[in-house]
Amino acid sequence: MIEELFQIEKDAYKDSIIHRLDARVKIVLCFAAIIALVAVPYSTMIYTVGVLFFIFVAALWLCTNLPVKNFVQRIIAIVPLWGIIILFQIFLKNKYYTEYHVIYSLPLGISVYAESVEFAFILFVKFIVCISFIILLSSTTKMQDLLDGGRRMGLPAEFALALGMMIRYLFVFGYMYRKIKQTLETRCFDPFDRRLSYRYRLRQLGYTIGTMFIRSYEQGERVFVSMLCRGYGKHMHLFLKKKDLTGTEWGFLATSLAFIIATPMCVWITQFSLF
Amino acid sequence: MHIPDAFIPIWQGAIYWIIALVFIAISLKWAKNEMSEEKLPMVAVLAAGIFALQSFNLPVSMGTSGHLVGGALAAIVLGSPLAAIFIMTLVLIVQGVLFGDGGITVMGANIINMGVIGGFVGFYSFRGLMVAIRNMPVAAFTAAWLACLIPALACAVEMYFAGTFPLMEGLVAMGIYHAIIGFIEGFVTVAAIYLIISVRPDLIDTGIKTPKGIAAP
Repeated sequence: MIEELFQIEKDAYKDSIIHRLDARVKIVLCFAAIIALVAVPYSTMIYTVGVLFFIFVAALWLCTNLPVKNFVQRIIAIVPLWGIIILFQIFLKNKYYTEYHVIYSLPLGISVYAESVEFAFILFVKFIVCISFIILLSSTTKMQDLLDGGRRMGLPAEFALALGMMIRYLFVFGYMYRKIKQTLETRCFDPFDRRLSYRYRLRQLGYTIGTMFIRSYEQGERVFVSMLCRGYGKHMHLFLKKKDLTGTEWGFLATSLAFIIATPMCVWITQFSLF
Repeated sequence: MHIPDAFIPIWQGAIYWIIALVFIAISLKWAKNEMSEEKLPMVAVLAAGIFALQSFNLPVSMGTSGHLVGGALAAIVLGSPLAAIFIMTLVLIVQGVLFGDGGITVMGANIINMGVIGGFVGFYSFRGLMVAIRNMPVAAFTAAWLACLIPALACAVEMYFAGTFPLMEGLVAMGIYHAIIGFIEGFVTVAAIYLIISVRPDLIDTGIKTPKGIAAP
């Protein structure tokens, strides 16, 4: 994950209409879309909603001037683990269906059910479209802008301060992680090398992690001293300039929210009227 | 263990968020009252460090790998389960919003599992065992193992309530996998604490004496 950090920030520093939007607009848009998608019941109506939402997020991505390859690479990095759990769904029964029809039988009494395949696909659609919005948000908004957006929307000061510092030091630790990894490789240490005893490998990794823990703590101490030099105190508050949304941003936000709210409702009404 | 969006229905996600917010508010209150001004930057930087620590893949078996959660380690070193909640909340926000690792609507559940359960289980099992057996490696190992296993079981129960994974299969699958990962988490936590006690004993307030003859790698 830490390897992605640099690519994400690199993407976020590019320029486009979407990049220039206020972070609050993108946060609200992204979260609203995810909530709307998750709120859609586990039914086949998610196919239509999912496709429409995906077209929406794809259109926004095209406006970012970022390569589609970056989007696909990030999807591929996220999907595997939960993709396996989604795949497992085809063998399982759940509470959302009352009847199950076997479409394929495997040894050891394992069966693939038509309803479970449908459920797995519903989960997959929801999962992929939700992830797409997160990728859009993080690839087009600098981390500091996300934090400022969060603060303007009421994120508690203690969290904002801690989160702000954490974000800054993510990159320091990203480089540190790379260095330690390279150092281990230079010494021909591979945690997956079976020729080394398992106990030895774990001890070395434990020491490495302990070293990193101490380094981060000591970095924290240095940061504190630097902050004291700059007038930091317990009752200090970070200054954040007031910033209003422009008319265009309001317009974009209102239109997008209308789409996000209206789409599932229209699909639901259409399906309801069909029955 | 990072549940993504769509795996838990929205109303259940809202309930987990409400519960998580209660604990976040308690941890914030703790941060305001108990955390000295010196500790805030440290906790923030430490959160970044834990985020990086989670990137180290550790070999499990049959070619699979896992990574450290770090909740127990943070709680033990910082001397409070609330510190673990605070740190894990920061880490989960960054992971969820920037990397899509863990969902937005289910972030409450993830904070409960890894921050609240992981932090409390890790901290109190460590303290309890230290009082009972006075053996740091055993106490830290067991605490870290439990802090990995129990949140995973909680995750399986949440998925069962959500109707996205059956209970027994979920408990068995998550239980076995995280019992193995927990073994590694335990071993690595012991090694990390041992190293910290050796190099910077002032950082840990657990009543543990500095071991002699421990060399850093």
